[in-house]
Amino acid sequence: MSGLRRRDFLKLGAAGAASALGVPARGGAQANEVVMLGLWSFTGAFADVGPILDRGMRMALEERGMKAQGKPIKYVTRDDETKAGSATRRAEEAVDGEAVKYIIGPWSSGVALAVSEVAKRKKVLHYFSGGTEDISGARCHRYSFQWAASPYTAAKTVVDTFMKANPRAKRWHLLVADYAFGWSVEKYVKEVGKTHGIEFVGADRHPLGEREFSNYVTKAAGNKPDVVAMVNFGLDTVTAAREIFNFGLTPKIPLILTWSSGVEELVQLSPEMRENMWVGSNFYYTADTPVAKEFVKNYQAKFGNPPGYAPAAAYGMTRMVLHGMDRARSTDHVDVIKALEGIEVEDLVGKMRVDAKTHQTLRPYFFMRCKKKDAMQHPTDFADIVATGSTPLPPEYSACKDIGSL
Amino acid sequence: MNPSLLFSQILNGIVTGMLYALMGIGLSIITGILNIPNFAHGALFALGAYLIYTVIQALGNFWLALAVAPLGVALLGLLIEYAGIRPLYRAGHDYQLLLTFGLSLIITEGIIVVWGPIGMSQLPPALLRGGVDLGITIYPKYRLFVMAMAGLLVLGAWLFLEKTRYGAIMRAGIEDKEMVSLLGIDIHRLFTAAFGLGAYLAGISGALTAPIRGLNPLMGVDMLGIAFVVVALGGLGNLPGAIVAGLMIGVAQSLVALVWPEASVAVIFAVMAAVLLVRPQGLFGIR
Amino acid sequence: MSRAWIAILAAVVLLPMLVRHAIATEIWIFAIFGLGLNLLLGYTGLLSFGQATFFGSAAYVGGYLLKHGGVNVLLVLALGIVVGAVSAAAVGYLCVQRSGLYFIMLTFALNQMFYFTAYQWTSVTGGEDGMPGIPRPAFLGLRLSEPLAYYVFVAACFVIALGIMKRVVESPLGKILQAIRENEVRAQAIGYDARRFKLLAFVIGGAFSGLAGVLYAMLFGIVPLEAIGFVFSGNVVFGTLIGGSGSLYGPVIGAFVFIWLSESVSVIWQRWPLLLGVAFVIVVLFFRGGLVEAWDRLATWWSVRRLRGVAET
Repeated sequence: MSGLRRRDFLKLGAAGAASALGVPARGGAQANEVVMLGLWSFTGAFADVGPILDRGMRMALEERGMKAQGKPIKYVTRDDETKAGSATRRAEEAVDGEAVKYIIGPWSSGVALAVSEVAKRKKVLHYFSGGTEDISGARCHRYSFQWAASPYTAAKTVVDTFMKANPRAKRWHLLVADYAFGWSVEKYVKEVGKTHGIEFVGADRHPLGEREFSNYVTKAAGNKPDVVAMVNFGLDTVTAAREIFNFGLTPKIPLILTWSSGVEELVQLSPEMRENMWVGSNFYYTADTPVAKEFVKNYQAKFGNPPGYAPAAAYGMTRMVLHGMDRARSTDHVDVIKALEGIEVEDLVGKMRVDAKTHQTLRPYFFMRCKKKDAMQHPTDFADIVATGSTPLPPEYSACKDIGSL
Repeated sequence: MNPSLLFSQILNGIVTGMLYALMGIGLSIITGILNIPNFAHGALFALGAYLIYTVIQALGNFWLALAVAPLGVALLGLLIEYAGIRPLYRAGHDYQLLLTFGLSLIITEGIIVVWGPIGMSQLPPALLRGGVDLGITIYPKYRLFVMAMAGLLVLGAWLFLEKTRYGAIMRAGIEDKEMVSLLGIDIHRLFTAAFGLGAYLAGISGALTAPIRGLNPLMGVDMLGIAFVVVALGGLGNLPGAIVAGLMIGVAQSLVALVWPEASVAVIFAVMAAVLLVRPQGLFGIR
Repeated sequence: MSRAWIAILAAVVLLPMLVRHAIATEIWIFAIFGLGLNLLLGYTGLLSFGQATFFGSAAYVGGYLLKHGGVNVLLVLALGIVVGAVSAAAVGYLCVQRSGLYFIMLTFALNQMFYFTAYQWTSVTGGEDGMPGIPRPAFLGLRLSEPLAYYVFVAACFVIALGIMKRVVESPLGKILQAIRENEVRAQAIGYDARRFKLLAFVIGGAFSGLAGVLYAMLFGIVPLEAIGFVFSGNVVFGTLIGGSGSLYGPVIGAFVFIWLSESVSVIWQRWPLLLGVAFVIVVLFFRGGLVEAWDRLATWWSVRRLRGVAET
């Protein structure tokens, strides 16, 4: 017995010693290597998307043979645990220890804001895709870029298109996640709504991570709305949509997911639950661009199912960085930042341009309508794209007044 | 305020409150009898949900699955007690906590490895889909079923503890373990049975919740905190206390959602703090 | 100077050469946090599952002052210690009324209350996004913004904290707390008001947590919401148990192993919490008493074997 314990202990100790020595104090990157970090959630609230984000970024790099401007690319990943503290320290660790010059991610807005501070402090390029306005707004700086459409672009696309299809649906009930992302999209939905004469009969804010939505659903039903529109994300969206169906609101009245991850959320719902659901997203896999078609084809061949917003964003952001390197004819991240400012490319979602003043990527946003169960041709045939919109945030709304210097 | 809205809201509170009570009773039995903090209770809840999903996929029958899935969780509970907790009865709460927390990590991550990290939906059985008109409001059939089912389970647990010989031994075990072993009863078997029963209740709570909240690997985390609050409020090993505490939290949560939705999670802990300030031993606790 | 102190000082010097400065700094911060907990857990026998309450409260207050006031670092540290102690006094007052499992659950639930307060109070704490942009102003000509300088500063704080804690546990107070752990009824009968001493242990432990909290806020320039969450409370308990709660140095070793374990394992496998869980179970089932005791057992076995070898020849 004691022999067994002793051996286990020695093994533990040996592994410990080996691993402690394996984490050197100074970077192990070779001089001509380009080191890129994928900072994804493998544990915590967004644990479900980490692995597919990783896939997207990897695909973009592998398409280039893991090379940029003739130099080998080293791709490293870290688990941000969907926590600001862990993300900060792991990002710092990777920048110091692995000589990372490019950070892509993370997925959560709150966590990304913390990482954006690291990028600013450590002076490395950071590309992010998500709902917070602050990266290209109030907390903008020269090192961080935003890939996702502005919440204004999203709200405008969703409300305009929906009202065109349902001009008489004027009574809206909003269900909003209670944090910065929810508030900013809510603000724009209400503003665009005014131009259509929409009456907001109710607007409830729910805590992030709420799991008991019955209370919000009965409240929404009590307001007798023509439409329920949600501004939340991920598991909150899925759990709420499920309850809205369970209580019989959908499919009788339409449900709008204003800012959805598309496939990742839709696949968690039964086809019955998706009927009469309208979905706004930064990507949908039937997007009609050459890059998207190629990406979707390869992704499906490799993983069996279509990519949603998450892998597409990781793929798209990595491509933008690579475009930046092409334009700069350099892999020096400061050159790449300069090259990305004002760059214009035909890429994953269509015409994409990076606004030099705010580092916002100007690009189309998608609006889909879910299919009925019997209209679906295969299990992942969730929806049709109804419209795309790319109205940028009016400059007077932008909170990024001075993006600063390098 | 609109009476039908108020009525539905209270109904919502009762349904979730019954589920909280079920979780709380399971934890209360384990905590009361074994005198250990079970931090794996939430993970057992999640496992119950995933097992019912898998059994429904395999057999295509909700009712059969509802009978089988919680038994699987109970079986795991027996195993955990036998192999993990039994050597630790004299080791102090700190190590018991470390063990159960470690087990909850293993179960949660195991779920991710087996079923994948992405959540899933489980529709209620065909019989229980749609709503029923209660006159004052239309309410989903499945939620009413959960309310009735949870009520039956609570009643069953109560009858078991109050009216059967085993139940009497268990209650005696909560009060005085030494006396029970002096009477010649195998205390270890009692402990194993109690953990199995607690795990069963966690499993069936998870199974019943699956069609309401769906499945995802972290679904047990929130429930664990709530179960602890129910036990702290209701008193250790106190069944009526757990029921009242569960319902109280459930209804408080839904009423707060009506007037101040942003605070609907915080209210759970506010209620607890308020009660414990006045009655540190919980609502019905004597110890 | 004892052998333990030589080992500690050697570790302080060697650590930044072996691991990155930020991680090395975090290890000592976590060790200070663990020292505070262990006064409760190891010496008084109180398993507090809510230490992040004090850690986080102090981190928020310290972070806020550094961000808005441009205050002296030492003053902020002192204030953090006070915030830690005061919040611990409030929580402790409620919790020491109860014992056993109730005590654990109360500390946990009150921690949740503080957590949701921080979560909702976004105007000050930043809620889910955390409180970013906390500077590390210079201190006595030491440019703390440099990672190595900050390491030296934190390591000095740790050595002082360890010295103080050593004095505390060896003082009459420490003996009384141990007496309460061994047999509360007897300690009470001798004439010690057990609740008052438990509360005192809480306050001292809270002060250490407060110090650690402010240092943590300065380390990464952010107070994340999880700094006040129950997972943090759990981590310090687990770290201390892994190291061994029976000795003064247990939490220090635990801090090293815990931080190092979660950092290195998370790079190896995406599902690293599974490995962490397995490690916990192994420690509980085979190495109760933590690494300190495991080391003792190993040393004993080794000397017995040597003696036996001498006897046979």
